[in-house]
Amino acid sequence: MRTAALAFSWAMAILACLFLLAPLLVIAAASLSPTPVFDLPVGGASWRWYGRIASLEGFWPALWLSVQIALLSTALSLVAGTMAAAAIVRGRLPGAEAFAAALVSPLMMPGLVLGIAMLQYFRGIGFTASWPALLLAHLVITLPYVARTMIAGMSRFDFTLIEAALTLGCTWPQSVLRVMIPALAPSFLVAGLFSFLASFDNYPVSIFLTDVRTKTLPIKMLQYIEEAPDPTLAALSTLILLGTLVLLVIADRAVGLSRMAGTGE
Amino acid sequence: MEGGGMAAHLSVRGVSKRFGATPVLTDIDLRMARGELVTLLGPSGCGKTTLLRVIAGLTQPDSGVLELAGRDITRLPPYRRNVGVVFQNYALFPHLDVAGNVAFGLKLRKRPKAEIDASVKRALELVHLGALADRPVRALSGGQQQRVALARAIAVEPSVILFDEALSALDRKLRETMQGELRRLLRQIGATAVFVTHDQEEALTMSDRVAVMHRGRIDQLADPRTLYDRPATAFALSFVGQSLRLPGTVVDADGDGSMVETAVGQVRAPRRFLPGSPVIVATRPEHVRLAEGENTLHGTVTGVTFQGSRSVVEIDAGGAVLMAELPGRQALPDPGTPVSFGWPVAETLLFPAEEAA
Amino acid sequence: MIALLPPIDRDRRVALLLSGPAGLILLALFALPLGLLFAVSLQAPPGTPPGPSLAAYERLLTTPHHLGAVWNSVKLSLAVTVLTLLVGYPASFAIARAKGRWRSLMLGCLFLPLSASVIVKAFAWTILLRSSGIVNTVLLGLGIVDAPVRMIFTETALIVGAVNVFLPFMILPVYAVVAQLDPRLSEAAATLGANPAAGFLKVTLPVTMPGIVAGVALVSALSVSAYVVPTLLIGERYPTLASTIAKAYLLTREPAFGAAAGVVLLVIAVAIVVLSSRLAREGRA
Repeated sequence: MRTAALAFSWAMAILACLFLLAPLLVIAAASLSPTPVFDLPVGGASWRWYGRIASLEGFWPALWLSVQIALLSTALSLVAGTMAAAAIVRGRLPGAEAFAAALVSPLMMPGLVLGIAMLQYFRGIGFTASWPALLLAHLVITLPYVARTMIAGMSRFDFTLIEAALTLGCTWPQSVLRVMIPALAPSFLVAGLFSFLASFDNYPVSIFLTDVRTKTLPIKMLQYIEEAPDPTLAALSTLILLGTLVLLVIADRAVGLSRMAGTGE
Repeated sequence: MEGGGMAAHLSVRGVSKRFGATPVLTDIDLRMARGELVTLLGPSGCGKTTLLRVIAGLTQPDSGVLELAGRDITRLPPYRRNVGVVFQNYALFPHLDVAGNVAFGLKLRKRPKAEIDASVKRALELVHLGALADRPVRALSGGQQQRVALARAIAVEPSVILFDEALSALDRKLRETMQGELRRLLRQIGATAVFVTHDQEEALTMSDRVAVMHRGRIDQLADPRTLYDRPATAFALSFVGQSLRLPGTVVDADGDGSMVETAVGQVRAPRRFLPGSPVIVATRPEHVRLAEGENTLHGTVTGVTFQGSRSVVEIDAGGAVLMAELPGRQALPDPGTPVSFGWPVAETLLFPAEEAA
Repeated sequence: MIALLPPIDRDRRVALLLSGPAGLILLALFALPLGLLFAVSLQAPPGTPPGPSLAAYERLLTTPHHLGAVWNSVKLSLAVTVLTLLVGYPASFAIARAKGRWRSLMLGCLFLPLSASVIVKAFAWTILLRSSGIVNTVLLGLGIVDAPVRMIFTETALIVGAVNVFLPFMILPVYAVVAQLDPRLSEAAATLGANPAAGFLKVTLPVTMPGIVAGVALVSALSVSAYVVPTLLIGERYPTLASTIAKAYLLTREPAFGAAAGVVLLVIAVAIVVLSSRLAREGRA
């Protein structure tokens, strides 16, 4: 009975892994399709679709916009989220727990609702420039990821390290720069990674804040897929996947996946 | 090596500190000579760690003056005081290796690279960790981490080194080894050091003088021997070593001392109190013999423990449990035997009863 | 007084200052927009006297077509939650039991898809499930079917794709609890005379309940508002609350109606989260 239960759980785990990886493998395979209709590269692979990515209409501006927004919103959220986490974990902040819950709450928020709320709001206050609107909206998308990770990281941080640095000759700002930030580096990395990916991949909020000239990559991609899907998109998707994989490997080296899965230490 | 006189290396005068309405330190005075090792000893909450933090500059006192190596440091931030601190949890920087931790303070002092390398090497050799310089600190054992913390503190050649329960995280055996080693090392480099501990054995082993702290005050500041033989307060008596204690009332006093009436008989003590004062009369177990002495009481043996070079006899005298520590392998009474026991008047201590902890 | 300590320890003002930027973002870009959205949802429809009105809600919750969309969203969420739980709960035990490299490998299998773009994954499923796609090729090749099965733009496709996208959100919270589970617990239950089934029901299940509750809350709240997956895998034929919102804003320009749909979606998502956290608390008590 016990062995059967164990075997069943192993079977489900392997099934889940294969099922989860299936679409990713399919995309990678289809990107090498010899014909324009997503054939598997059985008879012979073709790299030509990768060459065509660059010539997708509006691809480069969309990629550049997405990277800009993701980097900037991540950077700003890291600053704001880390400061807030310090206040929550360490400071005499009234209502610290409620504030922490509020900071993380947009995570559970339906993206579309956030999107139309932003749209209404920006219209209401007469704020129509698309680029800054996107950036501000993405702050709300990224901040919860940063806050969640940094609150956890900061509560594990030993503040005696700051005192040790002070007695060894650091001023208070120096001790933050030389001790606290380097010691929290793994948390910053994980926070930054999740925050960047959340922004880079966001569709449901961005869709309401773009205009004809300002479209992020996910919006452009969905448009390509709906209009004329061909293996070029599979090639592009594969590149995005590879980028994600690289980020994950870096994070794993620095932090370990177990700890990212919430079973740290 | 007394800390008095004008030449005090570290001087704490009239330091008080409150947290909210709670006084944590009350009018603390402490003067230490250069090269002296002093322990702040007391139970948790007695203010010893706060006093250490005040000296380090991590806590600002409400009043009082601190001087270190001829400078008034009262208003100086920790990074200008030139103190070294070994923290209870060691507080090693996790992102730096062993050498990086030790070099940390030297780099901030902008020493030339060659000098830093030499100092780091010297400090690590002093603590016998020369071979581990490039290890990450996470990979070290507790004892090794403790040594790195020590090397980091001494590398900057601080005017005083402060130890906050620095040995308490080690297991007993390692702690005893480290006590001896640490004392030798501090002597060797001529360091002035303040230890904070709640472990009386550690205090007696490590220091030139011990300050017994109780409720934010220093009850007694004395060398270990005096502290043990002549505790100044009932608290100092109870916190350092074992003791036999009986409550009583002074019935008579003359030029030689007082006569005290206890529940189990009369006892004479050399210290003088006004007749009628409630007191505590005490002596150390090693002064007690199972025979009549200058002071003699009667009781029943309730237990005998053989401890190798000595034996401990537990005696019930009218409800109070007393202990006698007997050297050698003499014949011991069985439990249940009525005994007389005595000790010299000169070894009888007397304290006002309201001082009792 | 000089700044001797990390100033944050001394001063409530410093704590407030530190939390200022994040608080401002939360207030100005989250709370206020949601408040405004609620106000907009109460706007009277054009051609009627101005003032607060429940017309948009009435339209959403009484028109069969729109009510169907609400039901579709809830149905999808229920199906996805149940299926991910059935697969994810046993799977997380194996992952927690796995050692070293195996565990890393399986966690990698969770994290890579989790970090991968939803659009990319949904797109992959459109390729997989096409009439000339891989699934059909395999089915035909094995002789299981005679003619290609129509899978794309069916509810099956939608559910398969959605389960694929949301499965990691079920496994991770359950795994986090199971990984800290003491294997001796079930052994202790066995020595106390519990047979394996009873041991599971009386010990393992209650102990892992917080993980289950967290996973169920996360998956159902996320899947009830799914937009990209239904758009690509089933399209117009399966209107959802999410697509109703998008349509009202992007096509028909009916902000009050879209806002009302948004508020309803929000209420459902918040209700799921609040209910489950209450459940989790009761389970602990």
